[in-house]
Amino acid sequence: MFQLTRLIIKNLRRNVLRTVLTALGTMVLVLAVTSVWSVLDFIDNQTADKANDFKILISDKNNAQGRLPRSYMESMRRGAARGSDDVVPDDYMTWAFYGGTLDPTKSSRENFLFLIACEPEKAPTMLDDLDQLGTADTARLNAAIEKMRKQPNGIIMGHEQLKLMNKEVGGRITVNGLTFKGLNLEFEIVDTFPKSAQRYGQTSIMNIEYLFQGIDEYDAKNKTKLASGVAPIAFEMLKVKNRQDYERLAAQIVNSPLYTSPAVRCESGGSAVSTFLASWKDIFWGMRWLLSPAILVTLSLVIANAISISVRERHQEIAVLKVLGFRPGQVMFLILGEAMLIGMVSGLISAGFTILFVNKFVGGIPIPIAWFDRFFIPQVALLWGLGIGGVTAFLGSILPAWSARGVRVADVFAKVT
Amino acid sequence: MLAATNRFDLARIAQFPALYGTLVGLIALIVLLLCVGKVPLAYNVRNLIVRWRTSLMMVIAFILVVGLMTMMMAFVNGMIALTANSGQPGNVVVFSGGANDEGFSNLALTEVTNVERTEGIAVNAEGQRLASKEVYVIANQDVPVGPGQKPRRAFVQVRGLEDPLITSTVHNLRLKPGGLWFSAAGVEEATSPDVPGGAYVQAVVGNGIAGELGMSSPEKRPLVVGETFFMADRLWKIVGILDSTGSTYDSEVWAKRQIVAERFGKDVYSSFVVRATEIDQAEKLAETLKDSKEVALTAMTEEQYFVNLQATSRVLLYAVLLVAVIMAVGGIFGVMNTMFAAISQRIKDIGVLRILGYARGHVLISFLLESMILALVGGIAGCFVGMLVDGWTAKSTVGSGPGAAKLVVLQFVVSQEVLAGGLVLALVMGLIGGLLPALRAMRMRVLETLR
Amino acid sequence: MAEAEAIVRVNGVHKYFTRGSERVDVLQGLSLSVPNGEFLALMGPSGSGKTTLLNLIAGLDTPSSGEVWIGSDLISKMSESQLATWRTRNVGFIFQFYHLLAVLTAYENVELPLLLLSMSAAERKQRVLTALDLVGLSDRLHHRPGQLSGGQQQRVGIARAIVTDPTLIVADEPTGDLDAKSADDILHLMGELQRELQKTIIMVTHDPKAAERAGRTLHLEKGKLVHEERRSKATAS
Repeated sequence: MFQLTRLIIKNLRRNVLRTVLTALGTMVLVLAVTSVWSVLDFIDNQTADKANDFKILISDKNNAQGRLPRSYMESMRRGAARGSDDVVPDDYMTWAFYGGTLDPTKSSRENFLFLIACEPEKAPTMLDDLDQLGTADTARLNAAIEKMRKQPNGIIMGHEQLKLMNKEVGGRITVNGLTFKGLNLEFEIVDTFPKSAQRYGQTSIMNIEYLFQGIDEYDAKNKTKLASGVAPIAFEMLKVKNRQDYERLAAQIVNSPLYTSPAVRCESGGSAVSTFLASWKDIFWGMRWLLSPAILVTLSLVIANAISISVRERHQEIAVLKVLGFRPGQVMFLILGEAMLIGMVSGLISAGFTILFVNKFVGGIPIPIAWFDRFFIPQVALLWGLGIGGVTAFLGSILPAWSARGVRVADVFAKVT
Repeated sequence: MLAATNRFDLARIAQFPALYGTLVGLIALIVLLLCVGKVPLAYNVRNLIVRWRTSLMMVIAFILVVGLMTMMMAFVNGMIALTANSGQPGNVVVFSGGANDEGFSNLALTEVTNVERTEGIAVNAEGQRLASKEVYVIANQDVPVGPGQKPRRAFVQVRGLEDPLITSTVHNLRLKPGGLWFSAAGVEEATSPDVPGGAYVQAVVGNGIAGELGMSSPEKRPLVVGETFFMADRLWKIVGILDSTGSTYDSEVWAKRQIVAERFGKDVYSSFVVRATEIDQAEKLAETLKDSKEVALTAMTEEQYFVNLQATSRVLLYAVLLVAVIMAVGGIFGVMNTMFAAISQRIKDIGVLRILGYARGHVLISFLLESMILALVGGIAGCFVGMLVDGWTAKSTVGSGPGAAKLVVLQFVVSQEVLAGGLVLALVMGLIGGLLPALRAMRMRVLETLR
Repeated sequence: MAEAEAIVRVNGVHKYFTRGSERVDVLQGLSLSVPNGEFLALMGPSGSGKTTLLNLIAGLDTPSSGEVWIGSDLISKMSESQLATWRTRNVGFIFQFYHLLAVLTAYENVELPLLLLSMSAAERKQRVLTALDLVGLSDRLHHRPGQLSGGQQQRVGIARAIVTDPTLIVADEPTGDLDAKSADDILHLMGELQRELQKTIIMVTHDPKAAERAGRTLHLEKGKLVHEERRSKATAS
């Protein structure tokens, strides 16, 4: 076995040009598949409900962009629980969206700020991935949240947004409201999200109570109600332990007499995301069932091509091996091994490179799908790379290897002499 | 015109000399090589046939790369076609100040009473101003699911109108035969006691959404005039179907504004779409509206608005091109392998040709032609495969940014430009993949080749 | 007298290669002249420089010093591309392993050198057919090399060598890969070419029986001419 492996490596080193070309082709195509799969993997993750982290969204029943009144908030946080038999959610977060421009005369991108108004102390537990930060980053995030609690107009801004707006931590800004037209608010940037929270580069959060306070002040000052301030809440997010609790809670909320105008709907986080991504479904289908297979087949062909060329060129040598006593199976192993070694090594290198290049250098694949603006390559891509390389190489080399196995000594030497 | 200069579509890329220029250049190169080359073409063709396994593998690889690129481009092309056909020349869209899309725009009913009296808006035969006052809502519709399945909902785009005749004139949309516009009340009394609210909501629906709504019914066929669907706790009755294929309105449900306001709790206008007296006055009208002292407004020509909605298509186009390039690079390595092997297999042929007096250039041309022939065959076959998707429909999103998006049903458009793009990709792959090996063949020394 | 009619004149030719840091002298001040219409055989042990000499005369290589004249052309001073053009018009090659292009038919193989010359398609066809007729393969026009015997393949090789009506035909071990019968036929054919078409033929061989067919045999050793044999025309036939 060891001897055979040495022979494989020797063979690969003999036609370095071909080995390098095949490896490069493999790497490029693995890069493509890895990127496509990363997007699909992320989307699958978002639309699937995690068994141990079941999130529920309460929102307007009929209007997808509808808002819920503040009067719903307290009861929603308790999951509309009344009796002691009712399920109470483990955690909650209230979401509203406040967006506006720093310069009302120019609505350009670097002037536009979009904020998630919520309870900042809920961010570490209710926002995805923020519970996965390192110790130092967690401490920093908690310190920033603590500042926001003491300072109602504090905001945490994504570092890319900060750079885009050309502001600094500690800076103060005034936003002219667009989502709440007429409501202009002043903020102080207390910190940025840690850079290790890759997806939060363009996300900013504010205190929801500060938004409510702003609405109240507007109403008091203008002696009239701010039209969009009557129902400011986008949705309430709750967390329960499992599916049973989710179903009981959902029934509890939908049947609650508290929520009639507007009526509410209650769905799992995954379902909500699925709905928003429905119009992208065909694109995802194409990526999954046309694009990925086509790249994989192309990859297989590139490898098959290289290996069959190399088998054809080495007929004589294979015959010599057979004369020396190599069994057909061993010859096949040689060829398969050669292909799979190139495939797996290049696949692995390519995946590693893709992770580094896309995540660190490019800063994610910049395809805006719904509210996701970029996609990162997960660590598991290393396994994909290894697997893709190995499997496509195996499939690509099985026929050439079979034909090598069948090389007849007599035929070959008949040709030579 | 601003709209024209900022306009982005494939047709325009095609007019850009790059695409057709490159294709013509590549084909001219092949013709030139054929004319200048001395080694008979039969030599290359027969060698490709003799090595049919490797040739076939490479052709399949070309078909995959080119076919896929054609399909993806046809998809993006379809998205672009939608937005390109939806805007009417001479129309100006008006949103609330700061808003660039109707999804974010809120115009209070009371503050915009004077907008339609603005100077420069066209008037119809009855003396009515051509100003369509609309509210736009994305509705949740519960999708019927089997027992035990998770409840699902789908988004349906609903547009509430004050006067469907004005709106249809402004958007230049007609009903398909057999349909009517909804009544002034927008509802129709129901005789059956089972109808919620005692009345149907009258609706005119886009041709595409009629199909979508029908798909969740047991018969899985498009809904027709007279049929109903359930949404927002009411039964909606289709009174007319828009002849809207190829525009973004194809995926919308239109109903009386007041009903939409009440059903979805949105008692405001999202947008005004007004028709300028003359097409070339639209820019000026937009400026006038923007300068309105009464209320802060955003105004732009409708064509510009739809150009902005191409942002998503543009990103997808770049993504498609990037994927195509990556696949092509992978393919190029395959072509190189094939051609390097072909050359090392035929070293003696090269030597004989050179001894007989063929120049280095002749050898280069011969091998370059061989890889270009392979590419041309694969490319043409790939284009044929790609053409299969022409006319397919798919769901997608067109938009100008997060949140500002329209859900659309589009048709794949395999246009000449798309096919030209596919061929260019194939030929470039053949050229680059064949060049290095051909150069090596050219550089071989005569006496060494025959040893 | 022989000097005046000489078609090939090699004057004081040196040829050396460098192998690593070592210089290997293959030809050392060799001079030679071949009269028009002669059938000359070059013999010698391997490494004696006979093939190198043939390559120099055929314009496949250039000497390190010295001159090679073919007719009135000083080919030792020609550039690579000049040599290529010159070869097409003036030299026909016959190889030990025939070196036919495997995917082309006998007809197409013979046609190859003509494609480089400007002539009408009709003339080209006429020439190819004549050449193949001359080697006795009129009935094998559309066969590929793989479908022909070794002897037949070499005949195609010879047809290809004469189709351009060259001044000079060079042959490197033309019978080296053939059985005795076929070899004899080929040598006979070459003899006919020389006698009937007045072709000058220079043939490298290590087979004394082959050399017997030539009018003159030169023996090389270590890059120098060491011995010369002349035969009367009668023995050659």
